[in-house]
Amino acid sequence: MLRLRRPLMAALTVALALVLAACSQEQLPNTTFNPRTEFGRDIDDLWDKLLFWGTVVFVFVEAALIFVVVRYRRREGHPEPKHVHGNTTLEILWTVLPAVILVLIAVPTVRTIFRSQAEAPASAIQVNVVGHQWWWEFEYPQYGFKTANELYLPTGRTVSFHLRSQDVIHSFWIPQLGGKRDVITNRTNYLWFTPDSTMGSDVWNGFCAEYCGESHANMKFRAFTVSQEDFERWAAHQKSGPVITAPAAPPGAGTPVAGAPPAAAQNPAPAQPAPADGAAATVAVSSPTLSQSLFPRLPEYAIPKTPIPQGLDFQEGLTGDVERGRQLYARTPCVGCHVIQGVSASPIGPNLTHVGSRTTIAAGLYPNDAAHLARWIKNAPAMKPGAIMPPMGRGLRDPRTNAAGTLDDAQIADIVAYLLALK
Amino acid sequence: MATATAPIHATAHYHEEPTGVMSWLTTVDHKRIGVLYLYSALFFFLVGGLEALIIRMQLHGPNGTLVSAETYNQLFTMHGTTMIFLGVMPLSAAFFNFLIPLQIGARDVAFPRLNAFSYWVFILGGIFMNVSWLMAAAPDGGWFGYTPLTTRTYSPGLNIDFWAIGLQILGVSSLAAAFNFLTTIINMRAPGMNLMRMPMFTWMSFVVQFLLVLAFPVITIALVFLQFDRLFGTNFYTVSAGADPLLWQHLFWIFGHPEVYILILPAFGLVSEILPTFSRKPLFGYPVMVYSGILIGFLGFGVWAHHMFAVGMGPIPDTVFALTTMLIAIPTGVKIFNWIATMHGGALRFTTPMLFSIGLVALFTIGGISGIMHSSPPADLQQTDTYFIVAHFHYVLFGGSMMGIFGGIYFYFPKMFGRLMHEGLGKVHFWLMFIGMNLTFFPMHYAGLNGMPRRIYRYDADQGWDGFNAMSSWGSYLLAVGMLIFIFNFFRSRAAGRVSGNDPWGGSTLEWSIPSPPPDYNFAKLPTVTSRYPLWDVKSPELTSDIPHTREGDKDNRVKVAGSDTGANVHLSSTDRTHQPPEAPMHTETRLPSARALGIPMPLSTIKPLLVAIGIVIMFTGMLIRSHEISAMAAAAGQGSTMLSTIIIVAGVVMLVGSLYWWLLSPLEEHH
Repeated sequence: MLRLRRPLMAALTVALALVLAACSQEQLPNTTFNPRTEFGRDIDDLWDKLLFWGTVVFVFVEAALIFVVVRYRRREGHPEPKHVHGNTTLEILWTVLPAVILVLIAVPTVRTIFRSQAEAPASAIQVNVVGHQWWWEFEYPQYGFKTANELYLPTGRTVSFHLRSQDVIHSFWIPQLGGKRDVITNRTNYLWFTPDSTMGSDVWNGFCAEYCGESHANMKFRAFTVSQEDFERWAAHQKSGPVITAPAAPPGAGTPVAGAPPAAAQNPAPAQPAPADGAAATVAVSSPTLSQSLFPRLPEYAIPKTPIPQGLDFQEGLTGDVERGRQLYARTPCVGCHVIQGVSASPIGPNLTHVGSRTTIAAGLYPNDAAHLARWIKNAPAMKPGAIMPPMGRGLRDPRTNAAGTLDDAQIADIVAYLLALK
Repeated sequence: MATATAPIHATAHYHEEPTGVMSWLTTVDHKRIGVLYLYSALFFFLVGGLEALIIRMQLHGPNGTLVSAETYNQLFTMHGTTMIFLGVMPLSAAFFNFLIPLQIGARDVAFPRLNAFSYWVFILGGIFMNVSWLMAAAPDGGWFGYTPLTTRTYSPGLNIDFWAIGLQILGVSSLAAAFNFLTTIINMRAPGMNLMRMPMFTWMSFVVQFLLVLAFPVITIALVFLQFDRLFGTNFYTVSAGADPLLWQHLFWIFGHPEVYILILPAFGLVSEILPTFSRKPLFGYPVMVYSGILIGFLGFGVWAHHMFAVGMGPIPDTVFALTTMLIAIPTGVKIFNWIATMHGGALRFTTPMLFSIGLVALFTIGGISGIMHSSPPADLQQTDTYFIVAHFHYVLFGGSMMGIFGGIYFYFPKMFGRLMHEGLGKVHFWLMFIGMNLTFFPMHYAGLNGMPRRIYRYDADQGWDGFNAMSSWGSYLLAVGMLIFIFNFFRSRAAGRVSGNDPWGGSTLEWSIPSPPPDYNFAKLPTVTSRYPLWDVKSPELTSDIPHTREGDKDNRVKVAGSDTGANVHLSSTDRTHQPPEAPMHTETRLPSARALGIPMPLSTIKPLLVAIGIVIMFTGMLIRSHEISAMAAAAGQGSTMLSTIIIVAGVVMLVGSLYWWLLSPLEEHH
């Protein structure tokens, strides 16, 4: 069996190389081998050197081991081995050679450390990232707005992240755009990079990489890289107040809350273009469905497939009403935790001013559609273990405070219609 | 040799292995304590393995639903904690206990009762921590327990208390044992056994004891701070009072990195015993192997912040810790090369222990190389907290520590129990481990570099991770089958394995000169040592003729092993070079004279160390109950009392101090 190992290893290497070569963006959507920023490329260059020297050492050591094992197996009739007990020259040699290899690694390492941790250019767009259990808050201080769990980045322009945590330690990571940086309580950490200007509109998965409690696995986000003009349009829209884009009154024409979720998978944000309700909010932006026009169809890896946990029933066939939902929202505990510009102002949970324009809810966990949103509002802790948002469904109790929710399914459907209309 | 001779010394007292539960509860014999460690640690290793298996089943495909987020977080926390503190460390301790006195030619450790105490504290601490499962409050903060997540604000349950208190209990055990072995190795070596003649396993163990003594106080302090925060409202880690979360991380990793070497160096030592034996060659570059071990231990205290490259320490600390981390690769590499050079030119016999040792060299190399890959901080920013790291340290700890320890178990099983383990089953076990381990952990490199974070209880579909995870899970099932075969082999060989005789492998060190299993006094007459390979000097002098020997006043250049009149003596015939297990007489039929007959004073069996250990655990249980009372009072707006916990803590202290006095006032051995 030992004799087989060498060709086996070679075959394995070739096979793996073929597999990797065959893999496209779709197949390995979070790869670190295909960096899209200067920061990511610096790391990747370093990785190439590490991989090269690592492979050299690996091949040398394993080949020597296999040679020795095959060559010096005990055979009948062979004399007792020679009793070598050391060789100073050899030992110095295999102390010095690794040291030389380490120098070859250390020099570019130190260079990259200092380059990647230099001050961000003054022209950079600043994004304040705040980690929460278990979602992300993104503030664009130069533009004066906040959003949650979905990040827009202009291509060709440096983005400087200022990372802070509201509770425990998290770690901010978009594998394709560069290395991660921990998000630590009582400290501000920094990270900056420039998405390649050659990219078109694209979407990247982001993750929390530091264990942060029960729903650590469910603390994801999306980064959308768009052209600078699109970014400016998006930013201007985010800065404006809520824009209601769904039909206001007639029941039956609102947002249907599907009983079964699978239909949601195709396009996460259900298109409900309709005249804005002038009474509810100002119509300020030319394109209220900007994300949809930029990303008419998201790649599969950006569409959450998380199954809805069992036992989360929601009444079939309900149709929410945006106006009723708007009024209801203002009277429910929702306002105690969420910001909708001009409506509610408590910044504990994610900012909902433009929640209808996002592609996901619950920090990248579910697609942002009526079926998921309704169940989320009804019973968030059941949808996402440990979620701090209490269940709003009538009679359901908050595992933390034991307080009971008050909304029936029809009311939740109204709120869903309202929130999804907040483009 | 195959003679079941009639009892010699018909009138002498014969060595009788004491039996019964009480004999185990009161034993102070380092060999029996070693066996207790072995059984306990193997049990916990299986528990930790089962936890890993559930983890792999959960992650077999995307969006697994086998266990909840809460349970998964408990599983990975307890898997790490169990494997490190209850599996690999006590498995090493089993070898420390069993082997160190035998290898240095001593009759027992320096403090036999303290040794029993260490074991009892360990086993009670292990049970304490696992009782948390029964109370549905298993630790869930990760084995690294980062604050502020583990502070009361974010982890109000008993989970973290079980963990923090359990680790403090285990720390008592490790520290007591470490001081014991340091004293033993420094003071109790046989005449002529100078430091540069110590067997390599004893040398590496010696280094490990220093690491334990220096590293465990740091984690103890970190845990006491945490416990004070949780129980008495101090603010070491309270972020709302302005605490810096990096305090914990620095304290933890100043302990945590030397801990890695605590886990790996004993395995290095075992392999350094096994490879020369089955190569029929002395260890290549013995002095360099000693110095590199010391250097690894020393440098191990200067690299801790490489676990923290993502926390934003700034470019200068990143550079410093990157360079020290790269530096530590050099002595580690030297060890690998010296092992290969030991085999070079040898006459290799591929016994099961040898296969595991070669496995260690092959697999640890991979772990070492991936270690260099994240010694580079910018590269580490893509690797840290991903499955790449999981792959790396499993190559180090499974491919390194566990391969070495399994090799050690197969190698020393005959010395411990007088019977050989089954070679065929052993080889099946090895190949299942070797293939299963690579299948489990190699794809994790790819999962990690393709963006899969660690410690996630599920992952979404279409992330490019499904294939890697399925491979890993299949590999873990192979590992489970391998472990079942090992367990079967272990117990079958224990009952009906081939009788091994003193020296089944043709070993070179003192432990092979005495019967298997050794009598309670080990050496009827303490040996005099003249070289690094005393037994080869006797049996195969041509192997050691180049090794420095003491010549002065030592005319015959022999190990003087007493008991040549016992019928179970060393095979001193230098013609015995067949290297086949000699067909020794059944040890049950071989009547060894008792210590009393030989006039050797032996320490008395005593229950007191166990009583002290129970006192300690009662005291700490009181702390746990105090934490529960505090939660209950907080929930009931200050109503309730801490009476119960106070009573239990006081009772524990009374028992601890009382038993300790009783222990100290009773003599170690009979007066003569």
